[in-house]
Amino acid sequence: MADDDIDVVIVGSGFAGSLIANELAKEHKKIVILEAGDRVPPNINDYMERFYKASIKVPESPYTPSLFDENGHAFDDKGHPVEDPGKVAAGRPSAIALDASMWSDGTKSYLVQKTEDKDKRKLTPFSSTYDRVAGGTAHWLGTSLRFVPKDFRMKSEYGGSVPEFVDWPIDYDELEKWYHDAEIEIGVSGNVADQSFHGIKFPSGPYPMPQIPNSLTDRAIGKALEKLDPAETAFLGMEQAPTSIAVRGLPAARNSQPYKGRRACAGNTNCIPICPIQAKYDPTVSLNDALNHKNVEMMSNTVASDIIVGDDKLVKEIRYIRYRLDSNGKLVGKVNGSIKAKTYVIAANAIETPRLLLMSTKGPHTKNGVANSSGMVGQHLMDHPYYVAWGQLPMTADPVYPYRGPLITSGIGDLCDGPFRAKRGAFRVDIGNEAWNFVIASVVKSSDPNVTAIDFINGVNRSRLNSDSKALFGPALTDTLNRNLTRQFRIGFLVEQTPDPGNTVTVSKTFRDGLGLLRPEISYSLSPYTKAGIVAAYKFKNLLFKMLHATDFTRVGDDDPSKWVETIDGQQVDLNYTGAGHIMGTYRMGRAEKDSVVDSFQKSHDHDNLYLVGSGTFPTSATANPTLTIAALALRTADRIAKRV
Amino acid sequence: MTERDHRDTVSAAQDGAGDHQVTAISRRTVLAGAAATAALSFGVDAMAETPPAAADANLDAFLNLSAALTGIAKKMLAPDTDSLGMGKGYFDFVDGKKLSDFATLLQVTKDANLQIPPPPGGIIAQPDVDRLAKAIADKGDAPKYLARSIMLMWYLGAWYEPSVLKALAKDPKAIVSYTVVSPKAYTQGWLWRVAQAHPMGYSDMQFGYWTRKPEEISDFIEFRIKGKGA
Repeated sequence: MADDDIDVVIVGSGFAGSLIANELAKEHKKIVILEAGDRVPPNINDYMERFYKASIKVPESPYTPSLFDENGHAFDDKGHPVEDPGKVAAGRPSAIALDASMWSDGTKSYLVQKTEDKDKRKLTPFSSTYDRVAGGTAHWLGTSLRFVPKDFRMKSEYGGSVPEFVDWPIDYDELEKWYHDAEIEIGVSGNVADQSFHGIKFPSGPYPMPQIPNSLTDRAIGKALEKLDPAETAFLGMEQAPTSIAVRGLPAARNSQPYKGRRACAGNTNCIPICPIQAKYDPTVSLNDALNHKNVEMMSNTVASDIIVGDDKLVKEIRYIRYRLDSNGKLVGKVNGSIKAKTYVIAANAIETPRLLLMSTKGPHTKNGVANSSGMVGQHLMDHPYYVAWGQLPMTADPVYPYRGPLITSGIGDLCDGPFRAKRGAFRVDIGNEAWNFVIASVVKSSDPNVTAIDFINGVNRSRLNSDSKALFGPALTDTLNRNLTRQFRIGFLVEQTPDPGNTVTVSKTFRDGLGLLRPEISYSLSPYTKAGIVAAYKFKNLLFKMLHATDFTRVGDDDPSKWVETIDGQQVDLNYTGAGHIMGTYRMGRAEKDSVVDSFQKSHDHDNLYLVGSGTFPTSATANPTLTIAALALRTADRIAKRV
Repeated sequence: MTERDHRDTVSAAQDGAGDHQVTAISRRTVLAGAAATAALSFGVDAMAETPPAAADANLDAFLNLSAALTGIAKKMLAPDTDSLGMGKGYFDFVDGKKLSDFATLLQVTKDANLQIPPPPGGIIAQPDVDRLAKAIADKGDAPKYLARSIMLMWYLGAWYEPSVLKALAKDPKAIVSYTVVSPKAYTQGWLWRVAQAHPMGYSDMQFGYWTRKPEEISDFIEFRIKGKGA
């Protein structure tokens, strides 16, 4: 293809980029995708090998660039990450660098995270990560929730007391058709009746597959919440104090039956980081569909570095660096290039997209970066701060048999909206089927079931299950481990975060990556409104554990940089959060040019041939994971581009 | 689909066709790859200097030791028709470390004269296990922690150095480094079976199994002769 033939250049091949590429491919548009990471391998065997061998199994473990040496170790003898963020060509944040000693150290952490702002206000870690190949969201869980209608009208509904809230320039009714199309495209298993709450309706049609059945843990928790004393649920601030709370199946892009050539879920309990049978949709599915069209090309190992805007305020070209790695993943060469098209789509997630926009300052009209006349590019960084709790059922209770089934099959959605939203962040609850697997890592630098096993084999008590630190052998060991492990459970709270102007992605002035490009710099903390959401989550956890007669093992590490102390009902309580992987808000959509970056079609207000897509356009976070909304908006944007190009 | 081949000269060979060739892989594909890697990672020539009969006796003692301490039937750890070869692989792995305490452990096990109950069951009784554990502990810390390293290898497919376990027993905040022995070893970890589950990312079960109770734990760790079991 010659440059003047290209209709659309898309930067990034994740959910939004791949879906847009595939839709435009069907419309016979000529498309080139620039992907910063490696290309998608011919099969996932290497990913599985790397995952199995990895001594730290975090969301990034299977993928490239590898976090590990040949022994599966992520750190060298001096405690430095094997993957040096200053040397890697297209780096990414990793959960291994969120430790207290590393999160704010730019020599170890790819994200350059600040510990205080210019007013000396304390900042805390942004704890979500992403990958590079095919947008790097192959490690997502698969949950595919729609937003509830009020999520799109936060200013109108609750803005009186929360000035940070804004309304979306699009509402549920307008997006509903696109939600449905997205559910068909990525293949969502769900139950319409179960999901019809808080105003969610399905006029365009049902989910394409029946819902995934629930787990024994789901049922135990559902039973515990069937009958509640309203005096004990009044703190939730719902319209009426609930006397029961529903545990509902979570709609998920996980096949409950064979769908579009992929198998039904076999319950490998490994949605994150990787489904070994690809029963879960990931962006490589749509990317491969797109690349099966001869009018679509992809350039992998190609990092967009500069967006050039002309005097007519249209984007004229994108400059890039294309690099080459040797068989060990070491950077051995790079060249510069550029590419021109009629329309440009930046689909590089809510950290890399603002980084690229803010790096692009060479043009005469873009001294503050591209698409940034509002000054809002990089602002309002949001996640769903994730508060986790873990416990164990009494030995007299029936086991719930974790480590079986998809990682999550059910959750509590009904508490995600109500009058309380004028005062505190809403939350959604997910119920884990993987016991203490990752939650215990926040207090013990390892994961379960390893921690529990080592306790009883080596006579230690890091899990707090082995109070007399006795080492066990033979039948006493298998019996003890079985009784303990089969009664463990965990829950997590995804808390709504306010869009705070001080939570930002900027471009570091000092730290570069292996290509010499400046890395993203993050300023992040939780507002009192968001923290109050976590306080409510803590209270709900206490209620649930009481109803389950469960022993609470939830702890906060002494050196946890996200920790703070809250006085709750007269008691000092340690609280903390981690990341949900839901990176949002840094190029928000809105009606007016002065207070938003893109319109409802995700088109830049400033540049008529530039689209910025993905959850960076979300003006508010809701509590649902962003993927289905990213996908719905992407399909709507693709439709718009197809009509215009 | 073709890779873009214009204006820069980087790596035409590297970026050949293949961007689109992701397929859902079969369990067999994973296993074949895992087995190949595992074969490479076990030290297969470690027994070269030991006469064959003594080697068999040592391997047998290693399996008895492993069965007694893990609480899992010997014939489940090392089936008669053993296509995975975990027992021999783990034996060679430890033997390759040339630790004198390993010989001590094997000798203590031989001296213990462990009784392996006939099927169904085949799990060594607690009094025998306790006797063995005490005999090992009496030989000092080095064999004691090596025995625990071996247990954890069976349970997790990972090698925790005895010195690491000793340090952890003294200080619960000690840094615990370890190495996954091989991809295959991870997928054969027994801890998951003790929990009546499967290694995360490696399951032979089918859609919907998680909505029912699992088989009894005895089905996971005891030895049954087909058709004659409990």
